[in-house]
Amino acid sequence: MKCILSVGIDIGTSTTQVIFSQLGMDNTSSFFTVPKISIVSKEIIYKGDIYTTPLRTSVMIDGEAVREIVAAEYKKAGFTPSEVDTGAVIITGESARKENSEEVLRYLSSFAGEFVVSTAGPDMESVIAGKGSGAAQYSSDESCAVVNLDIGGGTTNVAVFDDGESVSVGCLDIGGRLIRFDNNNVITYISESAAIAAREAGVSVSVGDTAVVSDLEKICDVYAEALKQFLGVTENNGLCDKFRTPGSSDFVVNKRLRAVCFSGGVADFIYGSERDKLKFQDIGVLLGEAIVRSGLCSPFKLIGAAETIRATVIGAGTYTTSVSGSTIDYSEGLFPLKNIPVFKLSDEEQSRCFSGDDRFLAERFSWYLSQNDCRNAVLAMDGQTNPSYMAVKTLAKTIARALTTVLPQGEAIMIVLRHDMAKILGRLLREEVKDRPVVSIDSVIVQQGDYIDMGKPLMEGMVIPVIVKTLIFG
Amino acid sequence: MDRNELLNEIIRQVIAEMGATADVGAVKRAVAETLGASDNKEYTDLTSKESKGQPGLKNPEDMDALLRMKSKTPARIGVGRAGGRLTTKSLLTLRADHAAAKDAVFMDVNEDLLKRLGMFTVQTKCVDKNQFLTRPDLGRTFSDEALNELRSKCKMNPQVQIYASDGLSSTAIEANLENILPAITDGLKSKGISVGTPFFVKYGRVATEDIIAETLSAEVVCVLLGERPGLATAESMSAYIAYKATVGMPEARRTVVSNIHKDGIAAVEAGAYIADLIEKILKAQKSGVELQS
Repeated sequence: MKCILSVGIDIGTSTTQVIFSQLGMDNTSSFFTVPKISIVSKEIIYKGDIYTTPLRTSVMIDGEAVREIVAAEYKKAGFTPSEVDTGAVIITGESARKENSEEVLRYLSSFAGEFVVSTAGPDMESVIAGKGSGAAQYSSDESCAVVNLDIGGGTTNVAVFDDGESVSVGCLDIGGRLIRFDNNNVITYISESAAIAAREAGVSVSVGDTAVVSDLEKICDVYAEALKQFLGVTENNGLCDKFRTPGSSDFVVNKRLRAVCFSGGVADFIYGSERDKLKFQDIGVLLGEAIVRSGLCSPFKLIGAAETIRATVIGAGTYTTSVSGSTIDYSEGLFPLKNIPVFKLSDEEQSRCFSGDDRFLAERFSWYLSQNDCRNAVLAMDGQTNPSYMAVKTLAKTIARALTTVLPQGEAIMIVLRHDMAKILGRLLREEVKDRPVVSIDSVIVQQGDYIDMGKPLMEGMVIPVIVKTLIFG
Repeated sequence: MDRNELLNEIIRQVIAEMGATADVGAVKRAVAETLGASDNKEYTDLTSKESKGQPGLKNPEDMDALLRMKSKTPARIGVGRAGGRLTTKSLLTLRADHAAAKDAVFMDVNEDLLKRLGMFTVQTKCVDKNQFLTRPDLGRTFSDEALNELRSKCKMNPQVQIYASDGLSSTAIEANLENILPAITDGLKSKGISVGTPFFVKYGRVATEDIIAETLSAEVVCVLLGERPGLATAESMSAYIAYKATVGMPEARRTVVSNIHKDGIAAVEAGAYIADLIEKILKAQKSGVELQS
């Protein structure tokens, strides 16, 4: 078994965290068959402290201070960035909406290690938190649909997993730090979302007031009701739409949800209790209590989270990396490749390529590049489960002809397939195209509009670590 | 009497025996529903993946979970039952799979296919299928004439000698050979490795490769062989590869790539993998367990 070191860094609305984990890879297939390398173990080897996300102004993250936190955690963990094989930096909640968030993220990912990738976006965040909390694993173990609610400082990220796969995601501006006060319980901050909730609750709160627990409870009751409507526990009268996070997906559930799981900082006050209602100078404790009081959980089985406040950072560090199929083909010296946009062919488009229509492919591919203003993209398709040699040969010729006319000199031809046929396609492509690099990998499922990162080959070059991201910045 | 009248007659008799009266039409509808049959319905291939993926179990507690379980195994789970017995569909599917397995063993490989691939045929000492099945020793030996034919028709001293043999499944050869052979040979040629003349061995077992490697002085020998069929698939092929194979060498010196079929690893992809594997064996100058460690 070979172990690789993975880092997770989460810059959230209220907290910044770092964890390290070890991913074990091994050949899971028998001695007598083609190898199949899989990630067989995931062990968290270092959990860092939980820091308050440093801000320079209300709209700017203090990038330098974040870097110092991360550097100090690396030192405490005993690792240097060059030892880190993979991982992800994720910027979440309100932090993702700061003016310099993209810049901070890019800077951090290059600082953290060669193949540490950056991610953001409420949808991605929901999935990562649900994997980190253990909800995805539960749904796979029990073969049922589970909803995970990651309630942080600024947002509630909702993800539904069915048999381990995320099937629906959504995000609401509901969180524990949307109203904050100082040591004397004088309110110092009320977010836009909290102002709406206060209006709905019929209470008046303003900055400078002294916090009144009963008023804040009413606001939290509105939030709890919105979550109930969001999950379909009570009828939707439009309340939850008022809190929907801009840029998040439509949340549609067409499966009966069996269980609910909570993560994020607020989860600790759903699973446990806290006597000091105004601890942390925010509404986190009250929000947790309001959710328990609301009966949101009663239609479901409430399952315990493996991680609460650390779910997102653990998801980022442990569950973002996967590996390609073990029979693949690539030119040496290309990796890592980061943030490559994915152009995915539909089944119908794919069959036109299998039948040799290179002009059509060239047209579609160049249209995609110009639409997205990029130099290159991954050409993705499902492929076939048992193609004939002639069919693969025709496909290779078609791709070679089309992409060499469209791509600038020297740009690599990159293919991502779902079905196991990348090695033969890659080899035939390299025979057709001698003057540019070729990458052909399989057993990776991507959608149109995804971004893909590919790391350096592992296990004697048999597999490539892959991170598929749904969205970088909206 | 046509089928309709016959059916009406049977139903009437059964009802009469039961001493009851009933609507013949209603009974017929119920029977048709149960059997899922009607005259203009197209018959599905019972051995197909689609047909086997359909659970026979009526009203399962969780249909999605059952379908997921079924998708993870070729075992016949969730097939339902009729009292204590198999349902008609289960029974017919089993028999169809068994028939496919028997066909795979007893059929000969289509000669047009071998002609198309430019392969001539040599036969082991077995004279027919029955002898091949009952005398494994003869299935790994050749007559002097056969060996002379090999010497006269094949390129001597190739780096790699590839050939195919029926083994216990001719169906496997017919399903995979045309796609795997060029994937291996083109792959080796593009690496600058010399490949011998391909041919086909009738009534052959794995160890024929030892004699063939010695006879043709091949550095690496690779036989593409039909595997004993089971009820899950009759199309499974394996490649047995050995470095400087000699008669009587330990079995541990063979490198095996098995499970080559449409629901295992696709023939073309296996071919690309085998080409790389043979390159590795040539470089390491060893095969089998020794190569792995």
